[in-house]
Amino acid sequence: MGIPVTVISALPPLAMQAGANRVVQGVKIEHVCGDPSLSAAADRALRRRLVERALQALQVAVDGPTLF
Amino acid sequence: MIRIGHYLNQFFAGVGGEEHANHPPEVRPGPLGPGRALQGLLKGEGGVASTLLCGDNFFHEHAEAAQGAVRAWLRESRLDLVLAGPAFAAGRYGAACAEVCRLAEETGVPAVTGLHPENPGLLIYKRAYVVPTGNSAAGMAPALASMLALGRRRVGGTPPGPAEVEGYLPRGIRRPGLREGTGADRAAAMLVAKLKGERFQTEIPVESYDAVPPAPPVAAMSRARLGVVTTGGVVPKGNPDHIRRCSETRWQRYSLAGLDALSPEAFECVHGGFFNLPACANPNLVLPLDILRTLEREGAFATLLDSYCATCGNDQRLADCKRNGAEIARWLREQQANAALLVAT
Repeated sequence: MGIPVTVISALPPLAMQAGANRVVQGVKIEHVCGDPSLSAAADRALRRRLVERALQALQVAVDGPTLF
Repeated sequence: MIRIGHYLNQFFAGVGGEEHANHPPEVRPGPLGPGRALQGLLKGEGGVASTLLCGDNFFHEHAEAAQGAVRAWLRESRLDLVLAGPAFAAGRYGAACAEVCRLAEETGVPAVTGLHPENPGLLIYKRAYVVPTGNSAAGMAPALASMLALGRRRVGGTPPGPAEVEGYLPRGIRRPGLREGTGADRAAAMLVAKLKGERFQTEIPVESYDAVPPAPPVAAMSRARLGVVTTGGVVPKGNPDHIRRCSETRWQRYSLAGLDALSPEAFECVHGGFFNLPACANPNLVLPLDILRTLEREGAFATLLDSYCATCGNDQRLADCKRNGAEIARWLREQQANAALLVAT
């Protein structure tokens, strides 16, 4: 039985074309999991939403590459 | 007289490096950068009438605006041929070049690009006419010459034959034709060669990017052990195992024990494929340990594995990616991980 993986990527089409089954859209290539132009608190909040979405994706059954 | 349109990223257009990857699309008359070498190859048969340049990040992060700019350029420049790049192994640039080719072909303008055979940009537009290149700009001159040669064929003269004959990358198009000998003879000969360890050429290539059946979802996240993997090149400060900025072949494990977040004093980002200063200033932007620890404390999952797995994905060969992936998966299994996050850049 495989281990479910969520890929967080700034370029989901590439991740999905390469076969990643659970994909979450990251912010930008230079800062996939946040935004340094925001305040520290806002950056953390953004990062939290992203990671929570990634954890949520791990709990969903999928048939193939899926963007969450 | 052939009117050529040339697509370049911010670096080859001379605007600047990664810090200018957000440069918006811009049209300039005539050739720029390597376009001048292209111009030199044309010897009176035409010229690079116009160059479209765009930052690699802009092209993907503002896809609609970028595609609009490409379409406008195609409409206004009356081009006979579009040449994109060559992008060699650069993933974002390669993907942009493939997209430019697709948009050009949509409007009836033949297009050619040059990419390393493992450039992920090939996934964007599988019908693109792509000449294979090496993985660095040291191969610029032969790449331009090949792109121009194929481009000339597409504009006039004899149309290009099959990929394996003409040397461009296979486009996934099969046309009926006749081969020597029966299928049974050819299959037997191929099997004999394979058994002897000799070279043979498959008649039906299987795509290198495999489809992997999705793993079933985590049943009870609150009881799950979570592994973290990144191809973003986040490593302990000083890069103790000398993970390469480009073309890395292996992966490493680094301890997260006792850490609530990744500090810029203790960690850095050595990925050479993007502007990594923001990630160096706050490595949590690539490996979100600060938030993961918070969620762990709140019980969103049971526990984070003691170490994370790191490599640099910049221009990593497919064969190495597959092996590294298999080894990382084996380690995750040994650590009884129930799930994993993979942060890619």
